[in-house]
Amino acid sequence: MILAVLFTNADGNILVERFHGVPAEERLHWRSFLVKLGADNLKGAKNEELLVASHKSVFVVYTILGDVCIYVVGKDEYDELALAELIFVVTSSVKDVCGKPPTERLFLDHYGKICLCLDEIIWKGMLENTDKDRIRRLMRLKAPTDA
Amino acid sequence: MASGQESSGTTLMDLITSDPATAASAAPTPAPAAAPSTLGKPVATDRKSKRATLTQIQNDTIAAAKALNPVRAIPQRQRKKPVSYAQLVRSIHELAATSDQKSSQKQLVQHVFPKLAVYNSVDPSVAPSLLMLHQQCEDRNVLRYVYYYLARILSDGGSQGLSPGGGIPTPNWDALADIDAVGGVTRADVIPRIVNQLTADATNADPEFHARRLAALKALTSTSASSSEILEKLYEIVFGILEKVGDAKQKRRKGLFGKQGGDKESNTRSNLQYAALSALRRLPLDPGNPAFLHRAIQGISFADPVAVRHALAIISDVATRDPYSVAMALEKHIEHGGALHDILHLHDVLARVSLARLCHSLSRARALDERPDITSQFSSLLYQLLLDPSDRVCFEAILCVLGKFDNTERTEERAAGWIRLTREILKLPEAPSVTLKDSDNPTAKVNTVKPSSKAKRPQPLIKLVMRRLESSFRSFSRPVLHAAARVVQEMGKSRAAAYALGLYDVDEGIQLHAYSENAESLDSEFNSSSQSEGTRKTVPVSNGPGGMDTIAGLLASLLEVVRTTVACECVYVRAMVIKALIWMQNPHESLEELQSIIACELSDPAWPSALLNDILLTLHARFKATPDMAVTLLEIARIFATKVPGKIDADVLQLLWKTCLVGAGPEGKHTALEAVTIVLDLPPPHPGSMLGLTSVDRVSASDPKSALALQRLVQAAVWFLGENANYAASEYAWESATPPGTALMMLDADKMVAAASSRNPTLAGALTRLQRCAFSGSWEVRIIAAQALITIAIRSGEPYRLQIYEFLHALSLGGVQSQFSESQISNGEDQGASGTGLGSLISPMLKVLDEMYRAQDDLIRDMRNHDNNKQEWTDEELKKLYETHEKLLNLVSLFCYVPRAKYLPLGPTSAKLIEIYRNRHNISTSTGLNDPAVATGISDLVYGISELVYESKEAEKESDAIDPELAMAWAAGLEDGLWGKNAPAMEKVNEFLAGAGTDAPDVEEEENITSRPSVTYDDLWAKSILETYEAEEDDARSSGTSSPESTGSVETSISSHFGGMSYPSLFSSRPSGYGVSQNSESRSGNNGRRFSNTSTGGPTFEGIGSPVREEPPSYSSSVLQRFESLENPLAGRGGQSFGSQDEDAGSQNPQFGKALYDFTAGGDDELSLTAGEEVEIDYEVDGWYYVKKKRPGRDGRMGGLVPVLYVSSS
Repeated sequence: MILAVLFTNADGNILVERFHGVPAEERLHWRSFLVKLGADNLKGAKNEELLVASHKSVFVVYTILGDVCIYVVGKDEYDELALAELIFVVTSSVKDVCGKPPTERLFLDHYGKICLCLDEIIWKGMLENTDKDRIRRLMRLKAPTDA
Repeated sequence: MASGQESSGTTLMDLITSDPATAASAAPTPAPAAAPSTLGKPVATDRKSKRATLTQIQNDTIAAAKALNPVRAIPQRQRKKPVSYAQLVRSIHELAATSDQKSSQKQLVQHVFPKLAVYNSVDPSVAPSLLMLHQQCEDRNVLRYVYYYLARILSDGGSQGLSPGGGIPTPNWDALADIDAVGGVTRADVIPRIVNQLTADATNADPEFHARRLAALKALTSTSASSSEILEKLYEIVFGILEKVGDAKQKRRKGLFGKQGGDKESNTRSNLQYAALSALRRLPLDPGNPAFLHRAIQGISFADPVAVRHALAIISDVATRDPYSVAMALEKHIEHGGALHDILHLHDVLARVSLARLCHSLSRARALDERPDITSQFSSLLYQLLLDPSDRVCFEAILCVLGKFDNTERTEERAAGWIRLTREILKLPEAPSVTLKDSDNPTAKVNTVKPSSKAKRPQPLIKLVMRRLESSFRSFSRPVLHAAARVVQEMGKSRAAAYALGLYDVDEGIQLHAYSENAESLDSEFNSSSQSEGTRKTVPVSNGPGGMDTIAGLLASLLEVVRTTVACECVYVRAMVIKALIWMQNPHESLEELQSIIACELSDPAWPSALLNDILLTLHARFKATPDMAVTLLEIARIFATKVPGKIDADVLQLLWKTCLVGAGPEGKHTALEAVTIVLDLPPPHPGSMLGLTSVDRVSASDPKSALALQRLVQAAVWFLGENANYAASEYAWESATPPGTALMMLDADKMVAAASSRNPTLAGALTRLQRCAFSGSWEVRIIAAQALITIAIRSGEPYRLQIYEFLHALSLGGVQSQFSESQISNGEDQGASGTGLGSLISPMLKVLDEMYRAQDDLIRDMRNHDNNKQEWTDEELKKLYETHEKLLNLVSLFCYVPRAKYLPLGPTSAKLIEIYRNRHNISTSTGLNDPAVATGISDLVYGISELVYESKEAEKESDAIDPELAMAWAAGLEDGLWGKNAPAMEKVNEFLAGAGTDAPDVEEEENITSRPSVTYDDLWAKSILETYEAEEDDARSSGTSSPESTGSVETSISSHFGGMSYPSLFSSRPSGYGVSQNSESRSGNNGRRFSNTSTGGPTFEGIGSPVREEPPSYSSSVLQRFESLENPLAGRGGQSFGSQDEDAGSQNPQFGKALYDFTAGGDDELSLTAGEEVEIDYEVDGWYYVKKKRPGRDGRMGGLVPVLYVSSS
């Protein structure tokens, strides 16, 4: 289960969040935990360098892309490697949508598209599409493979 | 504008609508800034009634959003007024009406829909407009958003909290719509319409329409699983699609790998297959349904890789429940060249992960025992996955081989996994499907089978795995390192399991190919590969460099790599590495390396405490797997205690100690206890000081928090020693064979010590350490050490008791002085004249022992008299003896827990006489027989209790929260009490108390942040302990209170106290579990202690008025309280002021009063009052009345404590 996907800006403001199967009262803990994690570790990290954390059986992989920090949280089959895969798909799609590693402004300008592309990548807590082209097609309501 | 703005209230909506012109980057769509003005136009009249509500809602929303989102200051130079939700909704309605115009479409796609995405749920009243758009609009981009929002409306299951989309919270629309009856739209209204429209989409067979069909199907799956009607519909649609497209035989290679090769029709088909299987995956599993399984299995051969992934995931889920039918259904796919083998080359990592899991569950299934051919095919497929280019797949395969499948840990399974890993051989099929490789496929690089010359040769699994892991450890990617370390940890777990079961008695040093020969003998046992013996025997194991072909050699080289990974800058990776090393550590190996790694890791301040405690829990789990390692693990735990005392939870450490002590078994107990007490020699850098705590001031200069924590750890260790030494030494007074007289003859101290240590070195060692602590520890530690000593004295037989008596006597000599000087100026820290300053503390302890010895002497004398005179014991004499016995028992029970039925304060010789008296008067001794303390040893009991304490963090939280208040009360009590004049001591006490107060919430906070719902191995285990001990604990409690006088609740124990009956409260169970506030705790304690005055009543105790008697709490009261009183040994000082003048008044003539003011109960035993209420005053305790109301109050309580000043007594 992919428990959460979170986008924040460099100051720790939450831009996008998607939770799956996380009770409402725990979301706050997650938010602050992730933001703190990023504040502690993402300073000076390279673009798309993957960082990892874990607690018991829950894994966190996070990275920074342009001005945006991206966190994904998962458990069970979504371990740190699967999450690394997921975050790769997310970053490359975001780059695709924005045209380059986004600044905060750029990210917000493409907010709707990014929501749509997340919707194609994660569907009910499971990784769905990983192929960039496919995601792009689906975002435009085209069939995933077409002649 | 910039300066005056309150930037703290910035929401995401503010951000998104802020003027992009000021942003550095050139935004491609500068329009959002214009949006508000466009949207702000007046709207159609029929929404008018709703508008007022909406505006209000909008305000609420923004306010809520501001409160909720942890948004910090965002400097913004310019900002437009943010768009409100209501504005957005309005413009959707407007634009939907004109959706045929290009400008409206553009407006929707570029401004309205993206901004709506900011909110976490969508108002059902938008649905009609969305549906209108859905029907009329042709623009794909608009439609995509429409499907997105329709899905969100469907998924929003009514409960705000569970909606998957985050963002600014929107109010509860349904509730508002109900209030606003005119034109209100609720979810109940719109959902059927949405579902119908989407269903129509999803069943539309027009090939031109099929992209929308997919989107509609996807949106439909968002419905909550609770609605069976919609679910049925969905199943129908999905199976309908699969019916049409599922059977079509399709060559995957053409469809998948030749991207351009497929014709339009087959593309459509494959898209539909994908959509149907994706939907099926989101639907609840239907394991009994053959159609379900059939469709899923068909999916394996589909062209779309995602569809195949979902199909495999479904099958592997079903396989865990019904392996037999899955295996039968898969029979033709598993054959060589079948569809399952093709998946090995499928470019979808998760599909291969699912394949690994599927193979694992089928190859292990008991239901398939009669079909070794099938299981072996699956295991060989699993082994082939070890060669997978993706780390994710390879690691999953390793974990599967190791028997780690889900979170359930079964030792047998894990042990078998280790055997499999070490003995199995991977032999690839003769013709690996390299030919399947399609050269013009862009994803072909993944398909490249490993260099065939290497891959074709049969390889021992362990070697493959080790090489793979070693290369993974050279990766720069942190997730890979973390995962690899985790795999090593799991390997260690399996290995430990194998050792624990004794399955793995073969020496790891044997050359690997030796295993290949004896491997087939294990085949039958573990359902392993059925490769022919011939091939296996001729396995040419290629010799690696350095001839490290033994498992031990491979492991050693792996661990070498693992150790170097400690250099990674990420603490989480390092933590995982340390855990892996702990698991790979074997009892007989030297642990120096591990120790030094941990020691130098812990010097890094970057470690978060949650992670450290996690490692401590790993030690715990490791011990669980291999009890032999108790000492090793305790050594490691000691490093934590020395290096980072401020970060680890003393409870976790205590838990570890206790587990190790109890689990170490009879012969290991001594070493375990020794290892625990090593903590007492802290800190190592100052070997000169016995305890290191003399240097606490110096340490605190650098880091007061950790100095305090270290102090608490030492206190905990001393306490632990006192409580558990008898258990560890198996020395109990009530089981001791030595008659009391013999000790008295060995009054020469040297001889006594020699005799003691020769008889029981464990206890003698513990005594020595405690004595050292009592001499030279810090003030707090000395007090606990004295208490620990008296505990041991009471519980052990001779000569230990006498030895301790001697020691305490010597210790108290200095203190006697201050005792004589009217004890008013006694300060406890007066190191000069009064020696240890423990006199006031020790004298009551000594008096108990004095009493016991005197009574023993009397008894011996009486017995001799009777013998000499050939006289029978008269009933009167027996009664007197029995009364002395009971009195002493009560006295002793104040200091520590003893099993009342067995404990003989008058010595073993009294047993017979007391028995006679009991029989004659039918006094039941039921307490003893089912007393768990006797049955299982005292430490078990403590263990159980504190296990509970550790688990019930909530409870602790509560008590922690009260802590500072109590601390203040104590401090206040001290000020006007006896200690006021001694400034340094006061400071120390305050510092200590304050430290204790502020420390706990800190820990708690972290606990909160990191606490997760997931249940792990550790959790499970802890829980199982909890459960088993809970029962036992209850038992203990009830037996502890089974003396008729103490019936368990505070109130009864208080009142029984005034009834003049004997032996009440300390053994009474706590009123309501562990969540009880400290207030009630200490108060009930007070009462009990006060009672001890009256009950014992002897001249020895009258009028001493020292706090000491109050300190040693009963054994059966919670450890929490125990600790509380240990840490605040002067807690009772405050209570000293209470008078005993009106002690008897209450019980005789009832007194009435009237509440003067409102009073709100602050604890469980307090009673809320309303001014003017009539109450009956039962008695007064320490500034509190125990009152009864005429009728129950709002909280349903009749009686309880209220402050004296709140009630006017008539």
